[in-house]
Amino acid sequence: MVTPAPQRPSDGHDGPLEEARAWGIVSYLLAGLLTFGGFGMFADHLLGTSWLVLIGLLAGAALAFYLIWFRYGTR
Amino acid sequence: MSPLVLAAQGESFTPPGKEDFWWPILGSDTSPWTLTRPAVMAILSVVLIGWFLLAATRHRSIVPGRLQFVGEGAYGFIRESIGRDLIGSRDFLKFMPLLFTQFTLILVNNLFGIIPFVQYPTMSRFGFPVALAAITYITFHAVGFRKKGFVGYFKDLVPPGLPAWIVPFIFLLEFVDKFITRPLTLSLRLFANMFAGHLLLLVFILGAEYLLLHGAPALKIAGVLSGVLAIVMTFFELLVEVLQAYIFTLLTALYIGGALAEEH
Repeated sequence: MVTPAPQRPSDGHDGPLEEARAWGIVSYLLAGLLTFGGFGMFADHLLGTSWLVLIGLLAGAALAFYLIWFRYGTR
Repeated sequence: MSPLVLAAQGESFTPPGKEDFWWPILGSDTSPWTLTRPAVMAILSVVLIGWFLLAATRHRSIVPGRLQFVGEGAYGFIRESIGRDLIGSRDFLKFMPLLFTQFTLILVNNLFGIIPFVQYPTMSRFGFPVALAAITYITFHAVGFRKKGFVGYFKDLVPPGLPAWIVPFIFLLEFVDKFITRPLTLSLRLFANMFAGHLLLLVFILGAEYLLLHGAPALKIAGVLSGVLAIVMTFFELLVEVLQAYIFTLLTALYIGGALAEEH
């Protein structure tokens, strides 16, 4: 039978998949910080406040952590 | 340290910087069409790789000769541990040319950074990693769109099982990740590693030369130390170069595999 999913090595650790996961984590964190920090910066610019960017960064980080946990932690 | 050194010889040291990477061969300093040394080296690397692979596969035999063994080893490594593992045994073969090309190209161009008398990593010019990352970017998105359809691909961005209220945020996050952050980090990672590594080697080597030739006697010891460190860092740089080639190819395969995967 041909499996559509990637083959996982049968030894104890995942090999290249581990590193791939690590880079995925970095990528998600960066994406979260960039987007929601960016939204925060934009909102700050529109509303003249200075702290929205921080809220944006924290929200982006929280969301990224959640997604990382969801994708990589519960499988 | 500078006053001591200046007192000794009266010459000053200009620390290496980004201007050390600009190496025009043909053309002016401001034209975008200037032929630069890394451009020539990149072409040379393609010729080298092509020659090597042709030579390695010319006399194919069951018991491989030296060249064939090395060629098969490299190809087999990429094929099994990166291609088959990350893309899956059904689809990986048609991506093998891309993966193998990327790996060998990045590896050879990186190795140019430490080969004596060449000593310039082509990938430290941002355009090269960007071009390679652009190919990866277009490939994995095109593959995903072709397999799942335009809307289906976007639907697949969000993993199943999330609470409904959070889905739009996660979709936004995933979208930015796949369409902006991934190509950005892919190109930036390779570029930054090569740029910083080369700069580091420049500092140690040029520093050693300067300290040994123009330094006060007490500082000549520092020059020797700098030279020793330059050798150590060259070995470290070798590790980094091979690793970066491997990681770039690994991530390309991962992204393609992720775009093709059905359970998402």
